[in-house]
Amino acid sequence: METLNYLLQGFAVALTLDNLMFAAVGAILGTLIGALPGLGPANGVAILIPLAFSLGLPAESSLILLTSVYAGAMYGGRISSILLNIPGDEPAMMTCLDGYPMALKGKAAEALAISAIASFIGSLLATVGLVILAPWLAKFALRFGPAEYFALFTLAFATLGGITGKNQFKTVIAACLGLMIATVGVDISTGNQRYTYNILELYEGVDFIIAIVGLFAISELLFFIEMHAGEGLKKVTLNKLKLSMADIIGVLPTSLRGSVLGFISGVLPGAGASLGSFISYTLEKRLVGHKGSFGEGDPRGVAAPEAGNNAAANGALVPMLTLGVPGSGTTAVLLAMLVSLNIQPGPMLFTQNADLVWGVIAALFIGNLILLLLNIPMVGVFVKLLSIPPKYLMPVVTLVASVGIFAISNSALDLYFMIGFGLLGYVLRKLHIPLVPIILGMLLGPEMEKSLRHALTISDGDWSILWGSGLAVGIWVVAIAGLVLPYLIGPILRRRMAAQAEKSHSVVD
Amino acid sequence: MIGDRILGVLLLLLAVAYGWEAAHFPEPFGGAEAVGPETFPIMLSIILGLSSLYLIVRPDADEPWPHLAMLGELAFVLVILAIFATMLQPVGFIPATTLMVGVLCWRMGARPLPAFLTGIGSAVVVFVLFNFMLELHLPAGLLDLNGG
Repeated sequence: METLNYLLQGFAVALTLDNLMFAAVGAILGTLIGALPGLGPANGVAILIPLAFSLGLPAESSLILLTSVYAGAMYGGRISSILLNIPGDEPAMMTCLDGYPMALKGKAAEALAISAIASFIGSLLATVGLVILAPWLAKFALRFGPAEYFALFTLAFATLGGITGKNQFKTVIAACLGLMIATVGVDISTGNQRYTYNILELYEGVDFIIAIVGLFAISELLFFIEMHAGEGLKKVTLNKLKLSMADIIGVLPTSLRGSVLGFISGVLPGAGASLGSFISYTLEKRLVGHKGSFGEGDPRGVAAPEAGNNAAANGALVPMLTLGVPGSGTTAVLLAMLVSLNIQPGPMLFTQNADLVWGVIAALFIGNLILLLLNIPMVGVFVKLLSIPPKYLMPVVTLVASVGIFAISNSALDLYFMIGFGLLGYVLRKLHIPLVPIILGMLLGPEMEKSLRHALTISDGDWSILWGSGLAVGIWVVAIAGLVLPYLIGPILRRRMAAQAEKSHSVVD
Repeated sequence: MIGDRILGVLLLLLAVAYGWEAAHFPEPFGGAEAVGPETFPIMLSIILGLSSLYLIVRPDADEPWPHLAMLGELAFVLVILAIFATMLQPVGFIPATTLMVGVLCWRMGARPLPAFLTGIGSAVVVFVLFNFMLELHLPAGLLDLNGG
């Protein structure tokens, strides 16, 4: 009952005219970002943070705007998967398997509509799951002491590479780099200067928003230039939508199953949206078995991964909101937004900023509805946008990113830093060093050091407090498993995913 | 192979320098504590050092690096961005943006005229949008007729 009350309060926040507008704008921008080539969800949200920030929006409005963008990007990502067989982002990979064959059969409009409905169901159920699970988890997390938090932060890094991660050492290196950047500046608890070299601008540390935009947006520009990917994708035309109620009912059970699986893998550390859509698809295939025509354009093969990845995206908000520990790149970027608004994520968020959290959750419901309404009739507009050539798009995106950074403090120095991070991001991506752990390190660094300090102050310098409670030991075990398991299971899973993709290609070609 | 090895060596150097500096932090005001300003950085330096050793010993296969001409191209893009940053305050938003977006479009394969038009178009639109609708003031620079 308590939860329901809070939720109603949340709707009161989200249903103000301003916030409704922000949700709608966010949903549109998000779908654009998801649909346009070369702009992933993390990238898109990152570019918008400094803008929301320098516009001086209130906290709940900025967060509503950006979570709507996040939700929208998940919707948008499927468009190019279905029409062009090019996944907009990694989780959308599985949608290609049946979506593209459907489009080849002249059923592109149906595939888009079905995937929109499945996405809607996935997000809706996952948001309901979030409403039920999050307050409970937040209450549970109140038991966490500093030692448990220290272990939890380690867990976040250990599982970030995901169960399919290739080289765990590279994740560790990236995390270290991020944490090291976070130590630059004046040490909060002792007042010591660290790595500032008497440069005044470094006293406050390196702004992670600048780092995020540089690492993601600028390095993306460099990759586009290197790959000569300036030309647009081929034009596609949509057929007229012929969707009956029976078609929708036909994919309902699939969507429901996919949503549940997706939500679970979104909440769990290290799984994420890619695994969510993969599991949903393969299980559905096994369940329906020979009765279906999976891989040749079965509508259920479109519904399962889409429900799965949208549910996983919303499920990933659970650890981000309740523990302050994001499980994916985009939620890490959303966390950056919270931190830069001076809101401390973690279990206290639900008591101290109840209005904000529940407002955002309510906005997820509303945004999702807006997205469904937006996506079925207006999908043609988004499809047209696919053919905007990146040679015009990327420079303008770079401009918007730079303006956002410049507007934060009107200083050219921030722009130089952004360019520097862009170069760094390019080199690291070339060497397959993941960028998300760097961001996460910069974000969590101060908190992680603080919890280490608290824990050791409590124990009077005895390091064994870090694994002193059953809870802490449990977290350490999961963290170590997260680091080691990919070596055992990763190759098998990766091979299967590749085999799936291979098979679909051979059917298509 | 070689890429990872070079990175590994550089990171190892970074880890040593970073850790060495941490070990020489002055003692904080109020005396040493269980966790001083140096504890966490030293932990990081050890972890980074060990991981970079792994990179040196067991490097992954290399991604193909671009040719020299392409590297020049990429450097040129970074220089254009830096010129944009430098021009922004003194010269103003619209000329700086026209130059930056125009040149980038051109380098990405657009013809000069559409590239220039995209540049000036996006500059004017973003300027008007920010200054008049969102009330975020971008530097007008030379175009500031009020003599700012």
